[in-house]
Amino acid sequence: MHAKHEAQERPAGGFLGARLGQRLMRATPSRVLLPALLVCGLTTRLAGWLLRVFDLANVVILFVFAVVLVALRWGSAAGALSALLGVVSFDFFFVPPVYSFHLSDTQYLFTLVLTLVVAVVTGQLAARLREQTASAQAGERHASALATVAGELSAAHTTVQVGVVCARTVGALFGGEGVLLLPDRAGHIGVGAHGIDREVAQWVHERCRPAAAMDVLAGVPWHCLPLMAAHTSRGVLALRGDRLSTAEIEPRSLLDACAALIGQALDRIHFADLAREAEVRMQGERLRHALLAAVSHDLRTPLTAIRGMAETLDSPRALQADVAAGVIRSIRQQAVALHHLVTNLLDLARMQDRGVHLQRDWHALDEVIEAALSGAMSSLGTRRVEVQVEAGLPLVELDACLFERVLANLLDNAAKYTPPDTRIWISAGQRAGVLQLRVEDDGPGLPREIPCEAWFTPFTRGARESPISGAGLGLALCHTIVEAHGGRIAVVPRASGGACFELRLPQRAAPVVEKEGIA
Amino acid sequence: MNRPRVLVVEDEPDIRHFVRLSLEREGMLVSEAGSALDGRIAAACRQPELVILDLGLPDGDGKTFIRDLRSWSQVPVLVLSAREREDEKVAALEAGADDYLVKPFGVPELIARVRAQLRRAHLGGADGAAPSIFVFGEVRVNLATYEVSRCHRAVHLTPIEFRLLAALIRGHGKVLTYRQLLLDVWGPGYANRPHYVRVYMNNLRQKLEPEPARPRHLVTELQVGYRLAGIERGKELARSMPASVSEGRLHAHHQA
Repeated sequence: MHAKHEAQERPAGGFLGARLGQRLMRATPSRVLLPALLVCGLTTRLAGWLLRVFDLANVVILFVFAVVLVALRWGSAAGALSALLGVVSFDFFFVPPVYSFHLSDTQYLFTLVLTLVVAVVTGQLAARLREQTASAQAGERHASALATVAGELSAAHTTVQVGVVCARTVGALFGGEGVLLLPDRAGHIGVGAHGIDREVAQWVHERCRPAAAMDVLAGVPWHCLPLMAAHTSRGVLALRGDRLSTAEIEPRSLLDACAALIGQALDRIHFADLAREAEVRMQGERLRHALLAAVSHDLRTPLTAIRGMAETLDSPRALQADVAAGVIRSIRQQAVALHHLVTNLLDLARMQDRGVHLQRDWHALDEVIEAALSGAMSSLGTRRVEVQVEAGLPLVELDACLFERVLANLLDNAAKYTPPDTRIWISAGQRAGVLQLRVEDDGPGLPREIPCEAWFTPFTRGARESPISGAGLGLALCHTIVEAHGGRIAVVPRASGGACFELRLPQRAAPVVEKEGIA
Repeated sequence: MNRPRVLVVEDEPDIRHFVRLSLEREGMLVSEAGSALDGRIAAACRQPELVILDLGLPDGDGKTFIRDLRSWSQVPVLVLSAREREDEKVAALEAGADDYLVKPFGVPELIARVRAQLRRAHLGGADGAAPSIFVFGEVRVNLATYEVSRCHRAVHLTPIEFRLLAALIRGHGKVLTYRQLLLDVWGPGYANRPHYVRVYMNNLRQKLEPEPARPRHLVTELQVGYRLAGIERGKELARSMPASVSEGRLHAHHQA
């Protein structure tokens, strides 16, 4: 797989390599010939002076020294050239007969050849040393740059963050700009506001091969590289910058390494997203199953009752008037209970499915309580409800409809699980930016064997097969809604018996309502 | 011919059936329409005194129906909405509907709303002159003289409180949305500040309701708006009751 990867990447190298070769060709005269000529000239001049003091055999060492310097500074080609030039100029200017290539003594031939060989070999050694140092330095730069990119990419959890790494770190690495181009769901690469040719980017993405795209606006070429992961391209990295067009070989391999790193990061994010989606789906599925299982019983019971009672009324032998009235009343009660159940079920399913979307606004708490009470009026029957809202309570910020559902469910519970002479209190006040609301009753209270927190998980009921209709959804719904408001709901012990639910909602300062001018 | 004519526009036959049965038992003359198109025709040729309209008709949006109807008729419209979404109700009310009921609703609730809307139509005064004295519960309001009293005792309202109360009274038991009230009382600059209405409604309740936490007349329609329930014309009531001094004074004001 890696070999294939390399084969696909190679055209990128070929493309960049050709560019680098061109640069090298153009660079030859200035980088090889000129230094060699210049140094040889200087050395000859220096040697001219030195010859007044030193012997000819000693001066030839100066030329070898010059060759080492040239090779160290400008590389092996310049070193070899300067060795040749040095020996020739030494022969021409200093070996008698002077100003001629003739040699008066054959032993000078030996000296010259030996000097040439020594100069070339030392020059090559010096040049190799230089190259090794340079490549070690480049390798270090390369490694540290890659480490930086890899470090930043490993911290990225979204494609947006990868995009930031591309723009900031990778772009800066090549002294220019870097842009991450990602495909949409249909596989179309979006180039955004950059002047990158979309067709080229698309081609790079589909063929998994790099290409140069001209910027239609600025006329600067973008280098587009596919970001490979396993078999496919996960996107395109578009780069432009000064260091991409230098003669050095280093940017190319660095570029490939960066592209590979980004490709891997995108791959990781892709699979992490897939895993998360699967997890969410699975959780939703599990909840749906649980809902269905729990609800099928709770829905069937009232439906069976309604159907049975309706058929009793339908029978040809008429029931006694008072019996019939009772049956009709029961049908109505069952229908109302069914309505409560279905409402809660739909609300909870919707919230689990799409999350809770609050429509927060500034409300008078009295109005929310009023709405909940008027809805629960018929089911509360003869139970007396006392409302004590702190005088001067400012407006509270909440989603009134959802919060009304919370209160309605708490009241509905009170109506279902307490005797008809129970008293119910709703009290509210605000302390230190927290709205406190209590719904309490002096009924039998909650069964003690169930821990307080368990009441707020779905399908928790005091008695499993209770004759009282319900699915154990009401408090779970309350909990979800209150949590979405950033608040807490809890079962609080009540000294004189009965049940007490306490809600705490953090509140911001209420908006200012202009006072009326005295008219 | 005194039986009130009611038109029911609803595509669900069972709901139409039980609405018809319960209204006919109350002595009303009920006609039915199963679609928006039939509804338009029936509204034009039968001249109903009340239209009960389902918002989810198969052949058209209920809001469009209301707008069409409002272009030529002021007949009260009671909207039936299966949707729990408040913005739908608000949109229907702002298109010109007068009240709404959310399905599933009970028969007593339906009858109460229908009666209130029919009463409302008569409240405007068939005699031409707009009445200025209104009574709800123990409260008596004279729109012409800006006098408000509760249990025969004068109540002081600030100008905005009075304007808000007057807007609710002019609505005659119609559900008024926050937006409608804000535009009417504060003006267009305040249209998106519903908390203003909430604060001033609270003030009104404190001054006019015997039990402000459980109001009987200044009723909240959560996330939608407010309604003034149980409103009656003052003049008729005054005739049937022994006129107290203050009432006499108010009456005199009205005459003047």
